[in-house]
Amino acid sequence: MRYTTFNQTNVNPLGEPMFFGNSVNVARYDQQRHPIFEKLIEKQLSFFWRPEEVDVSRDRVDFQSMTDSEKHIFISNLQYQTLLDSVQGRSPNIAFLPIVSLPELETWIETWSFSETIHSRSYTHILRNIFTDPGSIFDDIVTNEHIRKRATDISKYYDDLIFYVQLLQVHGVGDIEIDGEVHDVSIRNLKRKLYLCMNSVNALEAIRFYVSFACTFAFAEREVMEGSSKIIRLIARDENLHVTSTQHIINLWQHGDDDPEMKEVAEECREEAFNIFVSAVEQEKEWASYLFENGSMIGLNKEILCQYVEYIANLRMQAIGFEPHYKQISNPLPWMNKYLVSDNVQVAPQESEISSYLVGQIDSEVSAGDFGDFDL
Amino acid sequence: MSSTYKVQVNKLPVVEIATGQSKTLLQALEAAGVVLEYHCRTGFCGACRSTLKSGAVDYLNEPLAYIRPGEILPCVCIAKSDLVIDH
Ligand code: FES
Ligand SMILES: [Fe+2]
Ligand SMILES: [Fe+2]
Repeated sequence: MRYTTFNQTNVNPLGEPMFFGNSVNVARYDQQRHPIFEKLIEKQLSFFWRPEEVDVSRDRVDFQSMTDSEKHIFISNLQYQTLLDSVQGRSPNIAFLPIVSLPELETWIETWSFSETIHSRSYTHILRNIFTDPGSIFDDIVTNEHIRKRATDISKYYDDLIFYVQLLQVHGVGDIEIDGEVHDVSIRNLKRKLYLCMNSVNALEAIRFYVSFACTFAFAEREVMEGSSKIIRLIARDENLHVTSTQHIINLWQHGDDDPEMKEVAEECREEAFNIFVSAVEQEKEWASYLFENGSMIGLNKEILCQYVEYIANLRMQAIGFEPHYKQISNPLPWMNKYLVSDNVQVAPQESEISSYLVGQIDSEVSAGDFGDFDL
Repeated sequence: MSSTYKVQVNKLPVVEIATGQSKTLLQALEAAGVVLEYHCRTGFCGACRSTLKSGAVDYLNEPLAYIRPGEILPCVCIAKSDLVIDH
């Protein structure tokens, strides 16, 4: 089952499933099985921005006046975000493009992944401004045990799917023995791996990223590191869209609106998918302990961040058909929402494609802090 | 035709919201003192997703977030009648 870059079989794209059908040939969007993906592409393109447009120069001074524990929180959080986007900038392409069967979804995956590369470049933009040489901050991402542990959790479902798709491409369907280990390379098993991978990506973007956003915006609430916060606001808006896309994919499968076999797979893997979310929540709480190991910051501590993890996890799990699992049903960080709103874009639709306009909008909105009477 | 619709959210006391297109259902409910979850406020994140128990709504903007039959996104729709919703 070699991959072909232009499948010469005459297929009807309207009858193809999202994945594991015929590989895509003509990149055409005149007829679409799932038009939602083209709408997501349009939305993502209208969000286009460049990190260089955001002025982060004031952050250097802010950073220098922070306490050591605050510096640890800010930098570790940024390292974690860098890790997440390093994974997201390549993995949807590598894992999903070889098995996608619809042109509109193929293009969505490419558009999605491209926006992640903008996120990655923006972390360098932030760090270059804070440090004369940010090299050691990046180097530490692959040596720091806390970050390495997260990297394993995040990449394993992608890696597993990618490996099995490679086996399928080289050997075809069957029991394939590699280094003494037998692998069940059946389409059914690959579909299971795809289902779990999509859930893990959803947990990454829908829960893990939001924990990191909370940390960034907690600094902005104190009116420090506002340049970085502007950038993370733009990233959060993109991530919100990515979350929606994987929620769509999972729901289309669950409701039998795509591949009927994926509906069975979704039922079969329900508990495993649930556990992906539960362990993501546990891992994020562990991460919160590491972030605050040297002390809290005004407006945020380990307990509140853990409550936020539970709250956001409930919201995200409900969106893909699970019952709320955690007791935290109200938002413990109500100020978060104002950083996640994107209706400023809608005020002047004709200008919504001009990123400098958007960046300006975000600039003027983030300034007012409303921590009020918050205590550590 | 009356100039307000009655809306009940989660068995909370019924509130009245103005008819017409000047406010989304989310904004109208906020103005009436009912706070709903939201993030994007433009119909693509799904945070405001609610179940419509009775009544009808119209969309001002096309919702991009996934909604199952019977669900609505208050941030991009307006009431077309009295409503009962679960949020
Ligand atoms: S607040 Fe995002 S869809 Fe309504
Ligand atoms: Fe990203
Ligand atoms: Fe993303």
